[in-house]
Amino acid sequence: MPEVILEAVDLDYFYPDNTNALRNINLQVKQGEKLTILGSNGAGKSTLFMQFNGLYHPTSGCIKYQGQAISYKNKALIELRKKVGIVFQDPDSQLFSSSVYQDISFGPLNLGLSEQEVEARVKQALIDTETTDLEYKPTHLLSYGQKKRVSIAGVLAMEPEVIIFDEPTAGLDPRHAREFMQLLKKLSDEGKTIIISTHDVDLAYSWSDRLVIMSRGEIIAHGEPSGLFLRPEVIERADLTLPWLLDMYCGLLEKGWLPPSTPVPKTKADLLLIIARVPKNIAKDS
Amino acid sequence: MIDIDSYAYSNHLKKIHPGEKLLFAMLTMAVCLTAPTVITPLIVLALMAGGIIFKAGIPARIFLKLMLVPLSFLLISVFTIAFSISTSPLGFWMAQTMNGLTVGIRYPDLITAVQLFLRSLGAVSCLYFLALTTPMTEIITVLHKLKVPVIITELMVLVYRFIFVFMETAITINNAQSSRLGYVSLKTSYRSLSRLFSALLGKVFVKSQELYNAMAARCYMGEIRVLSKKHPVSLRNYLLIAGLELPLILLNLLGRR
Repeated sequence: MPEVILEAVDLDYFYPDNTNALRNINLQVKQGEKLTILGSNGAGKSTLFMQFNGLYHPTSGCIKYQGQAISYKNKALIELRKKVGIVFQDPDSQLFSSSVYQDISFGPLNLGLSEQEVEARVKQALIDTETTDLEYKPTHLLSYGQKKRVSIAGVLAMEPEVIIFDEPTAGLDPRHAREFMQLLKKLSDEGKTIIISTHDVDLAYSWSDRLVIMSRGEIIAHGEPSGLFLRPEVIERADLTLPWLLDMYCGLLEKGWLPPSTPVPKTKADLLLIIARVPKNIAKDS
Repeated sequence: MIDIDSYAYSNHLKKIHPGEKLLFAMLTMAVCLTAPTVITPLIVLALMAGGIIFKAGIPARIFLKLMLVPLSFLLISVFTIAFSISTSPLGFWMAQTMNGLTVGIRYPDLITAVQLFLRSLGAVSCLYFLALTTPMTEIITVLHKLKVPVIITELMVLVYRFIFVFMETAITINNAQSSRLGYVSLKTSYRSLSRLFSALLGKVFVKSQELYNAMAARCYMGEIRVLSKKHPVSLRNYLLIAGLELPLILLNLLGRR
């Protein structure tokens, strides 16, 4: 049983204008897991993320890091933010400097590292996000996708334990979205805990270990992706759709082209393998 | 302005140490402004034009266009210095007398005006050299190293970045308004423009809060510390600067006598 690294306990949060943004959130994030938070616009995903590294104070309830309720004193917050990094959705509000290099160096310098160490980390982050060729360009001459990658590099360079990505693939072209997923895989292999929020059900389904579905500030369901997506009432309530893979799988079952006992495929390759193994007579009969 | 900014990042001198470029531009400007003759400003003008067009590779057309920008201001002030109005027609070098009033140019005034004109133009060319070859971010870094107060350099960093963010927003809003005929008549233009500004003001507050959150998330503790890309320091460039400035200073000293 992996250890719980980040936890929200009975969390309630009201915005200053009394909007109830989060209601009774209980969520455990395990060390090294790949967690996706799904939910429509305004479901409270970003607000929850801001709770996770102490940017917002809960109205009631608490956030625990490694089993300890976080303190909102300056020093403790800095320590927490070293461990929990957030890549925000809009790169224009994250990049404060016009120089790519300077912006990426900001986080690691705040950690109190030596200049050589910071230089090495910036270099590695540039390589990891494929932004080395943008090093000399000013941020205002970059495209949206490029800015997004630079903002990711700015957080990677801090090497946090938990990395939270708010809508990471929104606005990326398919190639860079794919490369981003490879980067996530690499980070995950290094043992980082990764939380992302997205509307992309296909990505959520095939990438994550565990899914959390939020709607109107509440967690309405959580669990393994294949189990969750096969509950139509949950999908409907959260304004989501089925991933194409599951849609296809359900269609095949319905038509009788797959035996009812077929396991749920996790990837396209799984599904192709299942189809290839289907006994010929079933296919012929229908 | 945006053109100048783009050239700063793409010219042939971008890899030269920003400190060297700043020193060169500022020294030359000081020499030009203190010049007692018209020869120094002319040399400075030629030097900077050569530097900008041939060394930095900025198209001559762009440079000429930029030099025309301050010309209207300059001509107005120069004319007011050169021309005098007087009731006595004495002492004028070139004049026209009408109804007892003489309008004309006195010779010393003409010299002052020409000198002022060339000196200003020379100084402007020095500033253009700096603006066209050195990115703002690097100028700020040099200022920081020169111990300019942190509050000023940090503000410069943020202001410079957000000029572009807000300009982009303003352009987007403007396009959205124009595509719905927001600027079809004078009346609608006034209305659209006022809405653009109020929308922009709202955005400024939202953006500043978001920026603060994002910086806090990266352990911001009240001071923006960043690492800058190192540029090689070139002894050759310092010798070159000395080689160019010393004769000009000498020329100024000789001109004074």
